[in-house]
Amino acid sequence: MNNLCAEIGYKSINHAGEQLCGDHVDIVEHGENSTVIVLADGLGSGVKASILSTLTSKIISTMISEGLSIEECVSTIASALPICSVRGVAYSTFTIMHVINSDTLELIQYDNPFAVFIRDGEIYDYPQTEMRIGGKQIYKSVIKLQDGDIITAMSDGCPHAGIGIAYNFGWKREDIADFMKMLAPAGYNAKTLATMLVDECNKLYGYEPGDDATACVVRIRKRSPVNILFGPPSHRDDCDRMMSLFFGKEGKHIICGGTTASIAAKYLRKPLRPSLNFEKSDIPPTAELEGVDLVTEGVITVNRVVEYAKDALGENKEYENWSFKRDGASLICRILFEEATDINFFVGKAINPAHQNPDLPINFNIKMNLVEELSACLKKMGKKIKVSYF
Amino acid sequence: MKITICIGSSCHIKGSRQVVGQLQELISERGLEDKIELSGAFCMNNCQKGVCVTVDGELYSVTPETVKDFFENTALKKLG
Repeated sequence: MNNLCAEIGYKSINHAGEQLCGDHVDIVEHGENSTVIVLADGLGSGVKASILSTLTSKIISTMISEGLSIEECVSTIASALPICSVRGVAYSTFTIMHVINSDTLELIQYDNPFAVFIRDGEIYDYPQTEMRIGGKQIYKSVIKLQDGDIITAMSDGCPHAGIGIAYNFGWKREDIADFMKMLAPAGYNAKTLATMLVDECNKLYGYEPGDDATACVVRIRKRSPVNILFGPPSHRDDCDRMMSLFFGKEGKHIICGGTTASIAAKYLRKPLRPSLNFEKSDIPPTAELEGVDLVTEGVITVNRVVEYAKDALGENKEYENWSFKRDGASLICRILFEEATDINFFVGKAINPAHQNPDLPINFNIKMNLVEELSACLKKMGKKIKVSYF
Repeated sequence: MKITICIGSSCHIKGSRQVVGQLQELISERGLEDKIELSGAFCMNNCQKGVCVTVDGELYSVTPETVKDFFENTALKKLG
């Protein structure tokens, strides 16, 4: 295994007045080292488009990840898609990004705007091979990936943004490429990049999109492990074992929970210094402990992190909150969502007697649920998760 | 004099944030910043009695409603 990883993020906006999006992104992981991402754009908008794009992306992602050829995928789609009664055609454009081993990209494009590739802060004009399959013109590229590569696939709703409003002919692909190039050095994660691009499109549409618009970003980066300690072990005797495993791991270290932090402080023989600064937030203050990157309170803080994580996978509207605030939950979010690629949870199953008071909205089950929910969300963000219980 | 307020989960829910805020205000109103040091601490193992506050090591139970009374009748008296 190499030290690279592919971070995936996408965002869509719907045609004004439509409840369904006519674009669909499907991501299938096949085994450890292969991920297939398909962005499909169905003809028209609304229900019909949504069915077409969902079928297309599902069929292709499943078939490719099972190792079938692109020819077979295309012919399957051509025979499987329902034919539009108005237009007499079955039609859905697609972009396939097959990331192998995080270091090779197989890019297959059919009628979507060509994906924008940013390498070393410059626009990279990657080589393409033209193929004809079932009368369709399909472009294929195989590209060796390196750290910092940013690949943006999009539906035509992006370059159509602003037609007749901001621009005569919409937001040209070259200008979108320049926009992505400008964002590249800032170190934003894939989801943020996709959100920024789609938000810009929405703005150009005057917040009344004339088409569904979707951006899907793949960002290649070095692996960066982060370790989180959450709760004291159920047996007191396990403290030292848990601490030595936790501190023995490479990468950043986060501790959630006051009692847990006190155990760590004892293990490290360093003073624990809680702060009284509430950072204009309803999240309890953080603390300082030499040798640990971040110390926060436990359940309340992690509960907020889970809320932010769920939002980040969907609308991503809380981004403005956690991306700059300095409360414990926001600090954890920035480390987990933006920096981390591999996250190791060290979860202690001790029952805090004080938390079993029925008047308090925290108890043991909630704590365990939080870990499960958070790790599920982080997995969806494309991160590798390992949870160990003590 | 050192007043330490618990900022652990349980006390946080019971209002340690308001307690800290009111104490900070009361101290600055009286200009006692030089004489009273406020600090935070994680769980003091007395969650049932939250919000836990210690004055020079002695434990008190305070709520956002009683904090003013606590400050005037306990803390200030101790200060002399």
